[in-house]
Amino acid sequence: MATIESSSADEVGRAPHAAAFPRARLRGLHFAGLISILAGLALWEFFSRVVVANALFLAAPTQIFDAIYRLAISGQLWPHIAISSAEFAIGYAIASLLGIAIGFVMASSELGKKILQPWIAGLYATPTIALAPLFLLWLGIGIWSKVLVVVFLVLFPVTINTEAGLRTTSPRLIEMLRSFGATPRQIFFKLSLPSAMPFILAGLKLGIGRGLIGVVVAELFGSRAGLGRLISQSADAFNMPELFAAVVILAVAGIAMTAGFTWLERVLVPWTRD
Amino acid sequence: MVKLSLNSLSKRFGDLEVLREINVAIERGAFISLVGPSGCGKTTLLRIVAGLEPATSGAVLLDGRTVSAPGGDRGFVFQSDNLLPWRTVFDNAIIGPEIAGRAGAAQKDRIRRLLRLVGLEGFETYFPRQLSGGMRQRVNLARALAIDPDILLMDEPFSALDAQTREIMQTELMRIWEEGRKTVLFVTHQIDEAVFLSDRVLVLGRRPGRIQETIDVALLRPRALAIKRAPEFVGYVDRIWRLIEDDVRASVIEEHA
Repeated sequence: MATIESSSADEVGRAPHAAAFPRARLRGLHFAGLISILAGLALWEFFSRVVVANALFLAAPTQIFDAIYRLAISGQLWPHIAISSAEFAIGYAIASLLGIAIGFVMASSELGKKILQPWIAGLYATPTIALAPLFLLWLGIGIWSKVLVVVFLVLFPVTINTEAGLRTTSPRLIEMLRSFGATPRQIFFKLSLPSAMPFILAGLKLGIGRGLIGVVVAELFGSRAGLGRLISQSADAFNMPELFAAVVILAVAGIAMTAGFTWLERVLVPWTRD
Repeated sequence: MVKLSLNSLSKRFGDLEVLREINVAIERGAFISLVGPSGCGKTTLLRIVAGLEPATSGAVLLDGRTVSAPGGDRGFVFQSDNLLPWRTVFDNAIIGPEIAGRAGAAQKDRIRRLLRLVGLEGFETYFPRQLSGGMRQRVNLARALAIDPDILLMDEPFSALDAQTREIMQTELMRIWEEGRKTVLFVTHQIDEAVFLSDRVLVLGRRPGRIQETIDVALLRPRALAIKRAPEFVGYVDRIWRLIEDDVRASVIEEHA
């Protein structure tokens, strides 16, 4: 018995040891990324100040951050951010719930899949963002036309990933649960849903970028406020630092949310690492 | 006393006759192995007993009652461990009681004791990816024992392990079995494994799968690994090998054709 215990302990000892090596290498990579960004900003600054030397054609990073600062201090920035955030959040939430629900229907019913599949595949490939002017006509210049655009852009990657995730449930694991007398409902909640989680999260992550594009483009077509509105205002006034300011804020929001999802994946689906 | 009996059990997949007229009676507490070449239907037979697969004709009787669906009276140990990767060792082991809706404090204590029994004490919070193949099979076994089944159905549980680990697991299984004396139906293609573990070995022939011979293993228990070198042991292995040799050759040729 003693020999078995010690050999088992050895076998287990390997896992954390092996993981330590790539982690150390990753930290070096992280550092390289930071340097790359700083160098890029410095180059940009140099190029716009010395080579172009005209903020109309290319605003320097310092001018952009100055514009963000002034917009924030004057209080003009916050309503734009609030409106765009609301449009994104509502649209994203509706699309996530609806997408997971539709994906579930498609995965669990062959008929459901037959009926929905052509629409999902077709609309996913269609640049539905071009329909934004139509939505504007239907729902007015307020937030709901933008919400609808976001829903259209986020819904499909979530649906497709949910369906694929639920469908890849291992037949061997289904059989294991069946051998313990599990009901279809138990198989869904104890197996299909958790094993689809990495896919669903990946779909939601894809939706972030698409949703942000949806907000901005829909606002460009017509709006009273929002970061897209700020962009078109600034463009009309040839205020390029402010235009860039809005773009930078959107970029930061996108990066932050994507990073949030990466963190969420680590917490919710740790078994998919390495 | 007969625990499990198979009455003229037959199974067809379309035109393919997999099992023909299987008749077996197994006493309570016996360790029975099914050996045979690949394609003899031994795993299908086990799955029918588990209720995972319907028989084409015939019946499976457990304590005289016909069974046709999975139930808590039978615990299945799978060839591949089939652990849920997002669950810890403990949470994997308790899944049977959990499905049956009785994962209370008493059950949790029992699971802890079972994990100690299979040599996994201290690993309760580990995830499957942190374990070796042998340790995962211990969880697989503990999970089947957790529902306190009358019968353990084991489908080549050690076939994916390396030779040394497999021998260790065989002795471990013997130790665990001696403690509870469950009725065991053990499928393997390894003759020495079958002889080492079993009270009786059922030798299956192929196409269609049928019981070719029943061999009682009269080796004293507890058996040490060294018994595998004893002349009586080798005699049993030899006899079983000669029974299935032609079938094995045929199946090897077929697989390579």
